[in-house]
Amino acid sequence: MLLVRHILEKYLRICYNCIVLSTSAIALYVHIPFCRRKCNYCSFISYENKESSIPDYILALQKELLYYTGSNTISSIYFGGGTPSLLSVKQLNDILQTIHTVFRVDDKSEISLEANPGTIDTNYLSAIRKAGFNRLSLGIQSLQDKELAILGRIHTTDEARAAIGFARNAGFDNLNLDLIYGLPGQTLAEWHDTLLATITLGAEHLSLYGLSLEQNTPLWQAIEEKSIPAPDPDLCADQYEMAEDILSSYDYQQYEISNWAKAGRECRHNLVYWQYRSYLGIGVGAHSFTGNRRFSNTPELDTYIPIFTNDLAPVYDVNEKINPQLQIAERIILGLRLNRGIIIAELNHQSGINIMEYYNKQIKELTTAGLLEYKNGILRLTRRGRPLSNEVFWRFLPD
Amino acid sequence: MDQSLIRNFCIIAHIDHGKSTLADRLMELTGAVRSDEISEQMLDSMDLERERGITIKAKAIRLNYKAKDGKIYRLNLIDTPGHVDFSYEVSRTLAACEGAVLVIDATQGIQAQTLSNVYIAMDHNLEIIPAMNKIDLQGSEPERVLQEISAVLGFKKEEVLLMSAKTGVGVPELLEQIVQRIPPPQGDNALPLRALIFDSHYDVYKGVIAHIRVVDGSITKGTRLHLMGSGTDMEILETGYFVPKPYPASELSAGDVGYIATGLKSVGECRVGDTITTVANGATELLLGYDPPKPMIFAGIYPTQPEDYLELREAIEKLSLNDASLTFEPEFSPILGNGFRCGLLGLLHLDIVCERLEREFSLSLVVTVPGVKYLVTKTNGQKITVINPAELPEPSGIAIMEEPWVKISIITPSLFIGALMDLTRESEGIYKHTEYMGQFTTGGELGQRVRLEYEMPLRSMLATFYDQLKSRSRGYASLDHEFIGYRETKLIKLEILVNGVTVDAFSRIVPPDKAHDIGKAMVVRLKKSIPRQLFQVPLQAAIGGHVVAREDISAKRKDVLAKCYGGDITRKRKLLEQQKEGKKKMKSIGKVEIPKEAFLDVLKLNQE
Repeated sequence: MLLVRHILEKYLRICYNCIVLSTSAIALYVHIPFCRRKCNYCSFISYENKESSIPDYILALQKELLYYTGSNTISSIYFGGGTPSLLSVKQLNDILQTIHTVFRVDDKSEISLEANPGTIDTNYLSAIRKAGFNRLSLGIQSLQDKELAILGRIHTTDEARAAIGFARNAGFDNLNLDLIYGLPGQTLAEWHDTLLATITLGAEHLSLYGLSLEQNTPLWQAIEEKSIPAPDPDLCADQYEMAEDILSSYDYQQYEISNWAKAGRECRHNLVYWQYRSYLGIGVGAHSFTGNRRFSNTPELDTYIPIFTNDLAPVYDVNEKINPQLQIAERIILGLRLNRGIIIAELNHQSGINIMEYYNKQIKELTTAGLLEYKNGILRLTRRGRPLSNEVFWRFLPD
Repeated sequence: MDQSLIRNFCIIAHIDHGKSTLADRLMELTGAVRSDEISEQMLDSMDLERERGITIKAKAIRLNYKAKDGKIYRLNLIDTPGHVDFSYEVSRTLAACEGAVLVIDATQGIQAQTLSNVYIAMDHNLEIIPAMNKIDLQGSEPERVLQEISAVLGFKKEEVLLMSAKTGVGVPELLEQIVQRIPPPQGDNALPLRALIFDSHYDVYKGVIAHIRVVDGSITKGTRLHLMGSGTDMEILETGYFVPKPYPASELSAGDVGYIATGLKSVGECRVGDTITTVANGATELLLGYDPPKPMIFAGIYPTQPEDYLELREAIEKLSLNDASLTFEPEFSPILGNGFRCGLLGLLHLDIVCERLEREFSLSLVVTVPGVKYLVTKTNGQKITVINPAELPEPSGIAIMEEPWVKISIITPSLFIGALMDLTRESEGIYKHTEYMGQFTTGGELGQRVRLEYEMPLRSMLATFYDQLKSRSRGYASLDHEFIGYRETKLIKLEILVNGVTVDAFSRIVPPDKAHDIGKAMVVRLKKSIPRQLFQVPLQAAIGGHVVAREDISAKRKDVLAKCYGGDITRKRKLLEQQKEGKKKMKSIGKVEIPKEAFLDVLKLNQE
């Protein structure tokens, strides 16, 4: 019996390797699903009050990484969460060590860590900078304390400003700030103030996300109960347009629907998703993509930890083969998110079909409606199309 | 059997006043069924009837009762439908009896429909045994209700039997009274056959089963019969009676109640109210005037999924085999696709038909707002009937327009008279008469019970009249109505344009002075139910091309998924797939995607 199990697991492990094997360098995502407190809007895979599980989780992460021994070159590493900055310097170091053992990590790799401004200081950041992290993403979300309270963040605007100072002191020269707009009760003027204040903080990269209300989150609940006002979608569109106008006049180039960067500072890791290149996700609920297949780990911490700790067969949440027709649709949907748009000749070559002909009806409808433009062989979203991009994207899905 | 030992009777009662419970108790006491065989209310055979607490199809049960005089009597209990939509069937059922037990709820008193059924019974010279039910309940008001019965119906208090069908108190006394007070049948076995059809239903194996009361002569298996009203000839495959299960017998003779299996394919060929005689040496005179009810209201019934059209057609055809009052003709709506314009006896009938279609045939339906049949004489002299608003000619093309009117009777505690008078006025009702029902006041400050009589366009009853009546009277008022004929009217067609395109399914026929308000309400409601599009969408209400109300749905500006979290593209794609699926379920009209719910929302719109 034991022998059978052993062989079976061996076999599964080989299969697992085969899936990811890719000829070019891949991006590596590491998910850290712990938070001091869950934010009011959050529907991501993260757990509060489970910090005691962190040591076990790191062990499981390292075991999962070992499944991929002998695989690829890594071009970027991204620690996302949750709150990766809840991990100690040693814990982060241990994971990085294992990554280096398993993969060949390109010297020029972008290595990012997401951090909550309420969890860090200069010493901590200096140590992780030394450990190899070269990009820091700070979830400041807003520069208005009353908005931070609505969102249920654990930090204040003062702490956010201080965190940026710590990061610079620690030697981080590639900094991202996350902001959320479209908040309940947030006026255009308040958003204007936040934008200008953010610009003065001088980060290299900005991610601006419109608040999306996810079911069963406390914020959603509060709006359902009408204890706080529902966000106004038109105001949200105004805020988005305002951000586009202001940021471009301060040297921030928009390169994706929600992302702006100073010259040469686009997030290389996230570009992998939009350019339909392969990536590997490690950790609970993490997603991986091989070009024609996407799979994700179980989102349950209590399942994930024992499985990988005990070398059992992985439990997938998503595990789908993506047929060629769907691959084309996904390439278009993800590619259109980028401001550079899609080079049609390139896509024709990759897909073996004439895209403009195949999607003639959709493209005609969307260009007429002013959401898409086709110029010089490039298809891209218009200014109006970006905040309405779902209306563009679903039309490209196969029937 | 000697006719002097036969008693044919029915039970007249308002919904929930206890008719079915009483029938169960009678069966139990006469030994037709053992008490452990009774599955609550055996007489109602369809699930639907049991759930709604009403009876759609009448049936008859033979009970053998040994009376105190030592003789064994044959009691035929004929069940009656309780709702005004089926008043024709009620009148035919009553015509098959010599007597009726009138059941009145001791907690509620006389209701409007009960009253109208009692009047029919009196017209047929039936012996009426009044019985007050539910005297065991707390909250029963026997004194008040007795007073009401005596004031309104003229019975002496001591004539009214007090009982509880639930506990059985008073039911043995009722059986004795049935024997003593209801006269035996007076038919003649020697005369040519005459039997009245008081109910019929379709059976897959035996064809149409007709429930009959033999008045003169007798029926035996194999005889060739003739239906005097419709002219149909048929052969009897089987005859018998219910005990309560069907029990074949060789003969039914004068005074008997039972069934015949005819082999006919549709109940339309063998309708309630017709008189049966023999082909050879038949009778010459019908028992009753043969005048089957005609549909009074019309509604479009469409499948939610267009591909279910053939299934819907098959289902309606099957249903109509069993429901001679249901008419249907194919109809095409540019918006809803292929469906049927169905004719029905009333709103309850419509409800029952839709529910049976959905339940028995697993269909999902879209039902348009019910309307009436208009008679229109065009300026060129041509006479047409209009059952679909889309077919109403332009005002300039109409010389005379007529619509059906009804007499309505409302019974209510006097406290609500003011509110109900407002309601009837808003509904274009014309006041006719007020009648106080006894001097007793009901419990609390509700006041005396009053019967109000109005005349009203049937059209006014089809929106929310009944719901309003109930809510404005805290549920106390009851309603009865009766068709009284067509009257001249001046109505116009209100059309709704979505992005410049007329949407036929939204058209409705309204009084000119209300057109603006109704039009405004409709576009306001539509603005709420149609999601924003990629462009601005004008919604207009128009009369003969002249816009009377307008709302605009501004163009959508934001629909974006923010974060592409940790490469979870699958979830994002699934959301987009849902969005695409959602669009598929919408109807595209003038480039505008309209969800099905929007149709229902606006069709159900309160006219006030």
